[in-house]
Amino acid sequence: MIREVWQNRDARFRWAVALVFLLIVAVIPQLAVLHESLVTDGSVSAKFEIYLATSALVLALWAISYNLMLGYTGMVSFAHAAYFGIGAYTVGLLYQRYHIPIVEGLLFTPVTGAVMGFLTGLIAMRAVRLYFSLLTLAISQVLFSIAFSWYDVTGGDNGIHGLPLPDQLSDYAPLYYFVAAIVGVCLVLMFVLTRSPFGAALASIRENRERARSVGLNVTAYELAVFTIASVFASVAGGLFAVYQQYAQPEMLYWTENAQPVVVALLGGTGSFLGPALGAFVYTQLNSSLHRYLDSFDILLGVIVLGVVLIVPGGFSSLPTLFVAIRNRFRGDAAVEPQVTESTGEAIESSDLQRIAAVKAVQADTTSLKKGEPLLVIRDLSKSFGGLRAVQDVSITVHAGDRHAIIGPNGAGKSTLFNLVTGRLKPTGGSVVFGGRDITGRAAHRIAKEGIGRAFQITMIFPKLTVLQNLQYAMLAHRGLTVRPWGIADRMFRDEAMELLRAVGLGKFHQLAAGQLSHGDQRAIELAISLALGSRLVLLDEPTAGMSAFETQKAMELVRRVATEKGLTLLFCEHDMSVVFGTARTVTVMHQGRVLVEGTPDEVRSNPEVQSVYLGELEESA
Amino acid sequence: MLFAVGGLTNAAYLFIVAAGLSLVFGALRVINMAHGSLYMIAAFVTVAVANQLGSAYGFWVGMVAAILITGAVGVLIEVVVLRRVYRAEHLVQLLGTYAVTLIVAGVVRRVFGASYRSTPAPDLLRASVSLGGYRYSVYSFFMIFAAVVIAAGVYALLYRTALGRNIRAAVSDPELLSASGVNVARLFTTVFVIGAALAALGGVIVAPSQAINSSIDTDVLVLAFAISVIGGLGSIVGSLVGSLIVGEVISFGLNNKYTNGFALAFVFLIMAGVLIVRPWGLFGKPEN
Repeated sequence: MIREVWQNRDARFRWAVALVFLLIVAVIPQLAVLHESLVTDGSVSAKFEIYLATSALVLALWAISYNLMLGYTGMVSFAHAAYFGIGAYTVGLLYQRYHIPIVEGLLFTPVTGAVMGFLTGLIAMRAVRLYFSLLTLAISQVLFSIAFSWYDVTGGDNGIHGLPLPDQLSDYAPLYYFVAAIVGVCLVLMFVLTRSPFGAALASIRENRERARSVGLNVTAYELAVFTIASVFASVAGGLFAVYQQYAQPEMLYWTENAQPVVVALLGGTGSFLGPALGAFVYTQLNSSLHRYLDSFDILLGVIVLGVVLIVPGGFSSLPTLFVAIRNRFRGDAAVEPQVTESTGEAIESSDLQRIAAVKAVQADTTSLKKGEPLLVIRDLSKSFGGLRAVQDVSITVHAGDRHAIIGPNGAGKSTLFNLVTGRLKPTGGSVVFGGRDITGRAAHRIAKEGIGRAFQITMIFPKLTVLQNLQYAMLAHRGLTVRPWGIADRMFRDEAMELLRAVGLGKFHQLAAGQLSHGDQRAIELAISLALGSRLVLLDEPTAGMSAFETQKAMELVRRVATEKGLTLLFCEHDMSVVFGTARTVTVMHQGRVLVEGTPDEVRSNPEVQSVYLGELEESA
Repeated sequence: MLFAVGGLTNAAYLFIVAAGLSLVFGALRVINMAHGSLYMIAAFVTVAVANQLGSAYGFWVGMVAAILITGAVGVLIEVVVLRRVYRAEHLVQLLGTYAVTLIVAGVVRRVFGASYRSTPAPDLLRASVSLGGYRYSVYSFFMIFAAVVIAAGVYALLYRTALGRNIRAAVSDPELLSASGVNVARLFTTVFVIGAALAALGGVIVAPSQAINSSIDTDVLVLAFAISVIGGLGSIVGSLVGSLIVGEVISFGLNNKYTNGFALAFVFLIMAGVLIVRPWGLFGKPEN
């Protein structure tokens, strides 16, 4: 790993910055004393500077715990300040009511944070995205009201003051190191978490919820887990706040307080682990030094936040990268630039040109293969939306190893049927049996685990993850390993994933962000994901939609070859008749939500009913 | 009865503010955190002008000044900030407009100071009337009357004018609207200014009824959120119903000795309940 880092210029730079930063943090009390002794006019107080550094550490912990949700999972919570406040009240109330020393009280903060985070999280998870944010706002205000108004328990708006520090911590420097030690332990735990398979699941959810579900992740459960974990660390941070500030008060829970961790995370950069810590030190320093000269810190803070949002979305931690990019531009150092920045469909092209003979052999083979056992049995499946009956009493049997096409004009119910099979919609009647097991109406992520993969009508990948990570994370999710909060996700299933990428012709693009690839290549990633999931049946919803004629031909050759090599069963719907008759061995024609005819391509083509109702129409229009 | 009228007065200014927030969200799909800031600017301008010019006509001049100034600030915010974040994620929109609230709060504190300020009701409305044994200030009734007029005005604007038709089209399908040849950028600015004007009207009529300071921006914003969510983001009727619920809950909650500390908690419990059962609110439409 050290060698890897050493060879990667960018990684080397980041590790060096992190190391220097940690070293400085370790000697801040000494630096402060030095600073005080150098400035003779008495304007510098070492105690005050150490106090500021202590508060920066606590803020860093709070902000990094927020970033577990914001940066790693893509959740915006307005309730994080409430868990911070709960931690502070835990320490305060345990002292006030049970005379538990505040340092021992700290031990209880993870427990209260976990319990409150989990219980309120259960409620918050009932909504998604914007409505999730608004729900956390409501939760936060209810918790604030309790702290503010329930005098008998919380002391009401006065809060709890005068928490006594133990003698060993009564000086500033020992207190600083005590806080630093606890913050350090928490940061290590969170760092391990973000690189683990669990962290990979979070990244997948952030990148594409729908895709995450279809690779077998229970999105809501992971969000609840990360919400609870973030609450635990926020509560510890709040407990530390109560220790070094020696008070807890209800304003800490007010919803506007969330601005602090958010702004800090944003300043530091939500995309890097230690970025928010850097942001915390910059924020604390700005806050204290500017308050002396400027009575309106808010204005400046607002301008900075606006600048970061509109101009430097990566935050401070992206400045090194920005700096390197600018420097390279001036040097004209082309070698540092990545060789390939985007692909243009070469992957499919090159791989297939090499294998074109093999593909022809496969095509010749299709008619002689005999059908296997029934793999997917759909019986009398129906779905109504209000009065509209989109799918009515549809019965289709897909045999193992078959390539089964469903065709029909727009509104025939093809996409609805796919959504019913994959669990995105619940049927109103009928049954779906896969591999002998009834999967009717099961949740999407469970059906994915049973072995039904899906490529969507709109390309569904994890756009900001690398091509390789797309596959690795899908494998981790599918094999149920993403519950693991340890280990390094990026090193798992590397070889297996590379092998699959080579199989679909994307081997040399494995380091690129998946979103940079051409449309056709992104579909190849989707196919590879389905393969990575070990799916026995892959549903392709208009696999060639939006492709040129050339791309279409190449993509379908790839699909046929991979299906044959890996023994996949295909069920696909498609408007392009050349695709249907070039690939399918069985064709089902749907019309107005019902099955019209089923048979071999030749039978369907020569069926007079199909010709009159459907194919005739199409050929005329074409 | 006393509390019911108090609740209606709450509902009156909250409706005006929430309707603006909801309208802007409905058409622009942006949660404008700076909405409360616009309300605060208007309230401070009204108080400053009214106290300067005296209670005879100061309030009315203040009203005009507040709407003009707030409208101008609204245009500035829309052009400088919102135009760049319409297509961004909700998070970027929240942060961008939140930055504006920080700037506005800082400026207001610099210009007007951090202490509480107030102004008396204008002479015309200063009397009080006796009804069923209780005394009510005429100004309370003026607030309710103003809200009714504004509600009717917004309704007429949305359902009786060409502009309103375009706004409603933008609420249901902005992409289709831009494809049909409407200058969506200008429409968005117009909607935002209407939203800002509603925030301003809310701030103006609240000014003589309570003491104001530089934290009323977030206080009103969080209530406007609750109202919009309960009624349904993007629905004006929803804002009306939501503000009645919130206004009355606050009034009755605050005036009962067992519940007075928890009036706001009730509001947010209702909000949470609505979000859980019907995330799109009582009168909203589900997002697909």
